[in-house]
Amino acid sequence: MKTRKQQAPAGKRAHEGPAARGPSRRRGAAAPKSRAAGQRPLALTAECTVAEADSLKAALARRLEDAGMVTLDARALLRIDTAALQLLLAFVRDRRSAGRPTEWRGHAPALDAAAAQLGLADLLGLPAAEAGR
Amino acid sequence: MTVDLTQFHDAFFEESFEALDAMEAALLKLDVGSPDAELINTIFRVAHSIKGGSATFGFSEIASFTHSLETLLDELRSGTMPVTVALSDLLLKSVDVMRAMLRAVQAKQPIDSQRVSDLQFDLEVAIAKKGESPAPAPVAAAAAAVLPGASGAQSAPAVDAAACDPSWRIRFHPYRELLARGNDPLRILRELAALGPLAVQADAAMLPALGDVNPQDCYLAWSLELPGTVAEEAIRQVFEWAEGDCDLTIEKVPPEEIAPAQQPAAAAPAPQTPPPAAAAAPMPASPAAAATAPKPEASVSAIGDSGSIRVSVEKIDELMNTVGELVITQAMLSQLGSHFDGPDAEKLRAGLGQLERNMRELQESVMRVRMLPISFVFSRFPRMVRDLAQRLGKQIELKLTGEQTELDKTVLEKIGDPLVHLVRNCIDHGIESPETRVAGGKPAEGTVHLDACHRGGNIAVEVSDDGGGLDKERILAKARSRGLVGPADSLTDTEIHELIFVPGFSTVEKTTDVSGRGVGMDVVRRNVKELGGKIEVKSEPGRGSRFTITLPLTLAIVDGQSVAVGTETYIVPLISIVESMQLKASGVTRLSGRSEVLSFRGDYLPIIRLHELFGVEPRSRALHEGLVVVAEGDGRRVGIFVDDLLGQQQVVIKSLEANYGHIEGVSGATILGDGSVALILDVPGLIRAASMRAAA
Repeated sequence: MKTRKQQAPAGKRAHEGPAARGPSRRRGAAAPKSRAAGQRPLALTAECTVAEADSLKAALARRLEDAGMVTLDARALLRIDTAALQLLLAFVRDRRSAGRPTEWRGHAPALDAAAAQLGLADLLGLPAAEAGR
Repeated sequence: MTVDLTQFHDAFFEESFEALDAMEAALLKLDVGSPDAELINTIFRVAHSIKGGSATFGFSEIASFTHSLETLLDELRSGTMPVTVALSDLLLKSVDVMRAMLRAVQAKQPIDSQRVSDLQFDLEVAIAKKGESPAPAPVAAAAAAVLPGASGAQSAPAVDAAACDPSWRIRFHPYRELLARGNDPLRILRELAALGPLAVQADAAMLPALGDVNPQDCYLAWSLELPGTVAEEAIRQVFEWAEGDCDLTIEKVPPEEIAPAQQPAAAAPAPQTPPPAAAAAPMPASPAAAATAPKPEASVSAIGDSGSIRVSVEKIDELMNTVGELVITQAMLSQLGSHFDGPDAEKLRAGLGQLERNMRELQESVMRVRMLPISFVFSRFPRMVRDLAQRLGKQIELKLTGEQTELDKTVLEKIGDPLVHLVRNCIDHGIESPETRVAGGKPAEGTVHLDACHRGGNIAVEVSDDGGGLDKERILAKARSRGLVGPADSLTDTEIHELIFVPGFSTVEKTTDVSGRGVGMDVVRRNVKELGGKIEVKSEPGRGSRFTITLPLTLAIVDGQSVAVGTETYIVPLISIVESMQLKASGVTRLSGRSEVLSFRGDYLPIIRLHELFGVEPRSRALHEGLVVVAEGDGRRVGIFVDDLLGQQQVVIKSLEANYGHIEGVSGATILGDGSVALILDVPGLIRAASMRAAA
């Protein structure tokens, strides 16, 4: 029964892997929806699983050293697994210990559910977790 | 939550539970492919009213969940989404989850948020699938915003579960390569959460800096806790695929050990966060998340107003006996009061009348404590049959009859598991696959029938199917190969059928997770025997089989007709009575010897003279001066000759065997309102006793 979850559909953004929108776009000054910190959000793709883990890691690594606020945008996310959560966790934790701010934008039920299930919601600093407190 | 609203909570819960029952029933009736619009409307209305109610009362988690559900149901209602098996599964699970949430809120206990958010996720995905675009976003955002428990309450269920029972403590430490082998701890934990409220504590200490992380390796470990009521086997099964790829310890810990371990997790907001630097980086909550719900006050939950308590049967028996004594005392007092003369005699009699009424109520209440309709057991089957049929790819219709038959609660509790075994067997072994059935000229859909009735002072519960029946050849061959039967022995059908009750006996080549491990039927028989009952099987090749469990009524209510013979009173169970009539002398024919028959609607029925059978002096021996009760038992009809009919009443059966001994034709005794003892007739037994007498 549970395997049904594996068939969760890939949304439209599935193709724009983080790697695909790499440095070229970063150099392009067009940062449409910049936050107060002036940084464009790091959008997670619809599929964040072990298959995409390498590109996710690369995308995260590029923003790891950003001094300003990094916004993780989870709105497109439809499916996530342990491998991806682990990378996000490392990212959030490393930035936190270096004193660099990270925030989440948008709720993805898949992310909330998976993080809660694995007991990682607090460590990831997901907003729902903090609001619940 | 204002005080004004709380007074309506009970009504809300009651209505919601009823509505959920209705929703479940409607879901089970829902045809895949061509759903009945009215059924979908019923289901939708339930979700809608629960959503409205829970929002009104501030149960935001329920409101949020039902909102997602409603969105999905709306798609079904408008026909933009087809009803699939997977979808109706999802909806059934939603019913379970809503029920669990309502129960939790009712008991002022934390909601199992993981299970809820998990399922909510599934619902969102189902909705999203239809639209192909990431459409769930608005709904999801709204839903998640009012779901404060998504992670916040994750440690709470364990505290709740730990309050009274031992727990399973599971240490799950995956090896690095677990992920690469296609296992995902997320799936494993989700499956565990499906077994019961799961407390999760992640250990991320092994996770290296991002740059050093190999994305395909697993660096996390978990400490998990499940309530002790979950079967260890079930837990191990979840980890079956990960075996060899992880370190796994599963141990049962008593509640005292858990309590201190849990305390910090429950008290401190985020104890798992390892570095103290945690607060250094601001993690602002999104504006939407500010809409927090009032959290249920878990701390004051305690035991609260749970719906029932468990009481030992001995205590109720004691109560029952005391009430019996009271009835006699009360009858004695009434007798005395009727002779009383004096100024206060009227008042005394009024008081005694009141006492008598109260006594009757008390007696009925105590009786009702022990009696429950068998529907309590039956009600679990529609869902089970549906799920099993689906898993085995069979089409099965379940028929339930006699659900209102009341039986002793102890019997009821113990008959559940044997019935589950029998029904499983019927589905797994009995009913053939649709293809086989059609090839055999049967409708593709098999039928499993559950029936309960009072039969001659017993309760008979039947499980029958229209499947292939028992395969005698195979049973015999298997028995021979196991040395249970000598090669030259020839057995009767009944003896062959008996073999299936031998411990460890199974003819199935391949055991499934449903049945076939050979631990079914002998356990069934043992359980039934423990209740003092028996189980019989009848089977016809190609036509199906029928298992009949007969249980004695140690204690049951029977609607009875009290009849008088001389000075004695007897109770004839109403269920066996066809009709009662006055005889004309001409209607009776005396056959050779002593036997008499009466002509009844073109049929001749033997007459049983109760006074002769029981050696009582009757008011009259002339048949036309008394009455004849035409009764039926084991398919035979007889006329029972009595002096008079007294009245109909519900009586408590007291076991004669336990207090005296077995008498053929009598199923038990009861204490009447006046304190006298009346025997309850067992019509089939009576017929046997009478025919033995006639033959003698």
